[in-house]
Formats: sequence, C-alpha cells, structure tokens
Amino acid sequence: MKKESTVVYFLRLTVTLLLICGIVAAVLAGVNTITKDKIAAIQEQKTLDAIAEVLPGVEGLEEMTLSGDTGIVKSAYASEEGYAVEVAPIGFDGEVTLMVGITSRGEVTGISVISHTETPGLGAVAAAKNQRGEAFRGQFVGQSGSLAVGENVDAISGATITSKAVTEGVNAALAFVAKNFGG
Amino acid sequence: MNVKKQFEEGLLTKNPVLVQLLGMCSVLAITTSLFNGLGMGISVTIILICSNVLISALRKVIPSQIRIASYIVIIAGFVTIVDLLLQAFLPDLAESLGVFIPLIVVNCIILGRAEAFASKNGVIASALDGLFQGIGYTVALVAMCVIRELLGSGTFGGGLLNGGEGIRIIPEGYPAMQMIMPVGGFLTLGFVVAGFQYYMRRRQSKKKEGVK
Repeated sequence: MKKESTVVYFLRLTVTLLLICGIVAAVLAGVNTITKDKIAAIQEQKTLDAIAEVLPGVEGLEEMTLSGDTGIVKSAYASEEGYAVEVAPIGFDGEVTLMVGITSRGEVTGISVISHTETPGLGAVAAAKNQRGEAFRGQFVGQSGSLAVGENVDAISGATITSKAVTEGVNAALAFVAKNFGG
Repeated sequence: MNVKKQFEEGLLTKNPVLVQLLGMCSVLAITTSLFNGLGMGISVTIILICSNVLISALRKVIPSQIRIASYIVIIAGFVTIVDLLLQAFLPDLAESLGVFIPLIVVNCIILGRAEAFASKNGVIASALDGLFQGIGYTVALVAMCVIRELLGSGTFGGGLLNGGEGIRIIPEGYPAMQMIMPVGGFLTLGFVVAGFQYYMRRRQSKKKEGVK
C-alpha cells in the first residue's frame, strides 16, 4: 500500500469518527422519537397515580399554573375538596419527589413518594411499600400547621436526613396551600 | 477459539471484579441487596455482549488512533438506547434498574473488554467473552450482596423474595448497619478478594503438584 499523505491521514481519522458519531446520533434520534411519547405518558400516569393515592375519591382536580419562585413546590392540583401538591425537597442524595394530599381544611390526607435516590435500606424506607415505609408515611396523615422531626414526626432510624427532607416537603406543601387558599 | 479457556478466564483467572478489579465504583455502590446485584449483573452482561459484538464487527473499520473515542460513543449509544427502550416498554423494570443504567456507561469493564478482547478477536469469540465476563461479574456481585445484606440488614434475597423484604435471618436491631454503608462495601470487597486469591493460590499449587 502506498503511504498516504498527512492530509489524507487526518481526513480519514476525522471522517471515520464523524461517521460513527453521526450514525449513533441518528439511531438515538430514531429511538427517542419512538419512545418519547410513551415515556411522557408513563410519567404523567405516575403523577396521576400518586394524586389518586394521596387524595382517594377526589374528582375534578385541575392543575394550577404556578408563577414566580415557588421554592421546592413543583406543581399543584386543586379541587373543592382538597389539593395535591408536588414537592421536591433535597434528601440525603438528591431530590425526593413527593406528592402531598391536603384537605380544604389544611390537613394532610397522605403522602406518596414519586421518585428518589436515597440509600437502599435506610433512606429508601421512606418510599418502600412495606410496613416500615407505610408507618413512616402514615404519621403525616391528619397533621396540619408546621411539622418537625422529633416533635410530631418520628424519623426513620438511620435516615434522619431523609426524614427531615420529607417533613420539609410536607411543610412546604402545607404552607403553599395556606398561602394560596387561606387554609 | 477456546470456549473452556474463555469461560475459566471470565469466572476465575481473569474475573473482572476479583482479579482485574474493574468497575469498582458500581460494585461498591450497589451490592446492598440480592436484587440489586442480579439486576446490575444482568444489565452489564447484556450491554457487554452487545458492545463486544459491535466493536468486534467494526474492528477493521475503526482506525486504532481514534478507537477509544469510537468505543465510548458506541457504548454510550447502546446504553442510552437500552435505557430509553426500558423506560418506554418495561417501566417497572426501568424503575428498579433506574440507578444502574447510567452507571453502566462509566463501568470500565465494558471499555476494558472492548479494548483488551473485542478489538482483537472475532465476533463469536467476542460475544462469548462478553457472556463469560458478564457471568463472572454477576457472580462476584452476588457474593458481595449476600454477605453485605446478611450482615447489614440481616436478610437474604432483599428486593426479590418474601414480597421484597427478603427472608429475615438475623433479628431486627442486631445487624450492623455499617455493612450496607460505603465502609461495609470496602471491607467486604477486601475480604472477598483476599479469600478468592487464597483459593486461586491453592488451586494453582495443587495443579503444579499434579504435574509432578
């Protein structure tokens, strides 16, 4: 084989890498187009499931348009009977996204963890579908006003930071409802 | 091509975790319950086979000067495709594996095998290499998971058996929680690697005696 010139050598490298990147990008774009709508629908369904869990039997919820800086409140749904507020406080390892259900009288009806990345076996208990997880989430039901770990909330053992984050989220949701609906 | 030798390399003499010490980051992070270990092990095995096959098929096309960049693009592309497909079509599985999938891209076993094996060998041999290295990785992970879960949470089969709670062996309140924290990961890894090396030494010296 005849020795190629420097220009051809660099062109060959660049074009090959460009082609590989181009093909991978094209395939990814294709896969993204196929899956985009499905993933969005699944995400929406998850939010709806979380609302149904914290406000059972409540109908006619409408999403509110949030304006300005709402802090950790991500979205809110209102109806005459109650409100569902999505909050994302910072836990031990990133955001813990929660749905908090609140009655029109300002009492918590339930909380549901939508997504989190807490330590398995410790912070993850807050979201676990087992006895310990349900006991932790259950103690928020019926509470109102302002909550604090150690006073009216028992922390999960070994996961004080996660417990405080969840409490902070519930407080933010209660404050949001009180501010916007005079709760 | 020597299937038996490849199998032995993946599982024992060149075990990715216990001998090559590759991908330690994910090994330490996720070996806290049996489900995590199996999930991560199987995900890595599948990606490893796919990337090995593709890289082996392209090994004559990719110039050696830009091979690392090309491998990374191919591996990251594969992982993202698998991630998107799982999220769209198997949302339950995607939710449980959510944390592992991005970890696979940075798992150096995949790049390590692409560089050390797939770029020099044929497609079928590379696929087998991916399978055996993946099995070796999974076995090491599961061993770590069983030890850490038993000592740290006092259970066996967490996330899989008994409705996700695992079978309780040590009563609640007694397990040493540190074992499922990072420090327990380092301790367990050290002891498992030491035990494995001891076993390999004895195996080797027995083989030598057999020759004499």
